[in-house]
Amino acid sequence: MPSPEMLKLAEERAARYRAAIELKEPDRVPFTGMGGDVVAAYAGISSYEYCFDPEKSLQAIIKYLKDFPSDRPIGGMSGIGNAITQLAFLDYPDLTGLFAMVDGPTNDILGVDYIRFPGREVDEYSSPQFIGAEYMKADEYDELIADPVKFLFEKIVPRTTRNLRDLGSPAALATMARFGMHKARSGAFMQKQAAELLKLGYKSEPASFFLAPLDFISDNLRDTVNLVKDLRRYPDKVKAAAEALLEPMLKLALLGKNIGADMAFIPLHLNEYLSPKLYNEFYWPTLKEGILRMLQEGMKSQVFFEGWHDAHMESVLELPAGWGVGYFEKTDVRKAKKILKGHTCIMGGIDVGMVIASTPAKLDEYIKELLGEMMPGGGFILSPNIGNLPRETPIENIAAVYEAVEKYGKY
Amino acid sequence: MRDELLKSFVDMDEQEAVRIARELIETDGGAAAVLDTCKEAMEEVGRLFEAGEYFLSELIAAGDMFNQIMEFTLPKLQGGEVASIGTMVLGTVLGDVHNIGKDIFKVMAEASGINVIDIGIDLPHEKFVEAIKEHKPELVGMSCLITLGVDSMKRTIEVIREAGLRDDIKIIIGGGRVSQAVMEHVGADAWADDAARGVRLSKELLGKE
Repeated sequence: MPSPEMLKLAEERAARYRAAIELKEPDRVPFTGMGGDVVAAYAGISSYEYCFDPEKSLQAIIKYLKDFPSDRPIGGMSGIGNAITQLAFLDYPDLTGLFAMVDGPTNDILGVDYIRFPGREVDEYSSPQFIGAEYMKADEYDELIADPVKFLFEKIVPRTTRNLRDLGSPAALATMARFGMHKARSGAFMQKQAAELLKLGYKSEPASFFLAPLDFISDNLRDTVNLVKDLRRYPDKVKAAAEALLEPMLKLALLGKNIGADMAFIPLHLNEYLSPKLYNEFYWPTLKEGILRMLQEGMKSQVFFEGWHDAHMESVLELPAGWGVGYFEKTDVRKAKKILKGHTCIMGGIDVGMVIASTPAKLDEYIKELLGEMMPGGGFILSPNIGNLPRETPIENIAAVYEAVEKYGKY
Repeated sequence: MRDELLKSFVDMDEQEAVRIARELIETDGGAAAVLDTCKEAMEEVGRLFEAGEYFLSELIAAGDMFNQIMEFTLPKLQGGEVASIGTMVLGTVLGDVHNIGKDIFKVMAEASGINVIDIGIDLPHEKFVEAIKEHKPELVGMSCLITLGVDSMKRTIEVIREAGLRDDIKIIIGGGRVSQAVMEHVGADAWADDAARGVRLSKELLGKE
């Protein structure tokens, strides 16, 4: 059982986070912590063990969190999202959540073509990776548009999932049975993990997941290079496909309410690829509609603006104030604050490249200056700009960042 | 016709650019003119990208157009008409399976006259050493998308140094997560987080601009 002190600490951390999202000043700047591959390295285990051995993975997380406490439990990065199968099973809401994250053992069972795991397809000290490919041909847009869920189940799942290639075969049925048995075990383990983390003062916060429909088409179906060409060759079909995917994607995200999620994570990808003209015509309308509809249902969004989002900043202002969190990778958070202050909670600020390559003294100075500019007025969450610190990140640099947050982060 | 080809290419009018190029190669000296014009167009697209007017999607579309046109243009050219300003060994480092950044850069680098030897993705450090020994390039380009690539690039450069090859080459690193600090950390000579900058700096390293 967690001690009363730890329960209180968990409440304080959650409240700090919540205040920033509500654009207020908390007692201290909320800090997500910095996890990733380094968590495994810090515990002396390989990335393969981190992805395939839940007990070792949990012990690594506990060790890291004890030495580097933050306001969110760093979950490491031990799985890859799997929106295709989630959407394919959309009519079975008790199951869709099980497909959300493919961990190492799940991938051994399913055999997902676009996922690479350490110790399997890549080196045992590498990271799990997503690598899209062309799973849908250009002449299949009409089929996707007509019935996205049916098309994903009948055509795309067999193409992307080796062990479900022949749906209805004994091999596929055995795969689903093994998948169910594994999920029962891993579900029980997740509960144990949540209990362990609560003992350290971290509440588990259920989150939902939404993808910009055009990102789904690009990353999961057509591949980025083809999609970019499709925008010029078949603009009407691309637009219609994005619109057809919006409702299934929304339904999926809102299922998160059943587990108490009040925030949807939306990692963007194509934003950096598109000119404002293409962004506003093909990408933003269905993304914006998704964010607004979830908001109506009481679910805010945390959007990861990957790469440079500078060219599209004004469009964020089309959302109502307090809509959620803008998490920026390369776009300078100071610049984002100038445009979005009082409207959007801003997250980011720590360049991972700097944590790898800089020195403790320089990082201390950097965090001091950054917080000096970003904290006043509230609505800021300090976070690394990418959620994965590599294995060789110098521990003294990590420590310097955590110490600087304590030194300079109080309101 | 050269001006029209240049304009339709830079304006991303794929059908028109391909149509004009097909017509132009049938004229006397036309293939060389198509090659020169497309190279000029790619340079202009790169310039527009660095000026913030074009985005990654335009770089990808331009690269695709360039490849399409070269497919029917290069066989019509005499050997001496395709000049190279230098050779680069290019690959994605160990542990990283991504190729999109490398591929966008590759076609732009080729369009700028660099002879690119693409050795693939997720490459053991020794593969770079072998390729340097075999192709004797002036440049080595290392690509990575994910953060683990930083350490992988560092170790690859160490292995190149241990093989006694570091002083013979210039190294440029590229990818979404590289920066000046990362370049200094891994011991490279230049860095770029987009293809247009990467090509411009590669030419500088070759002493060509």
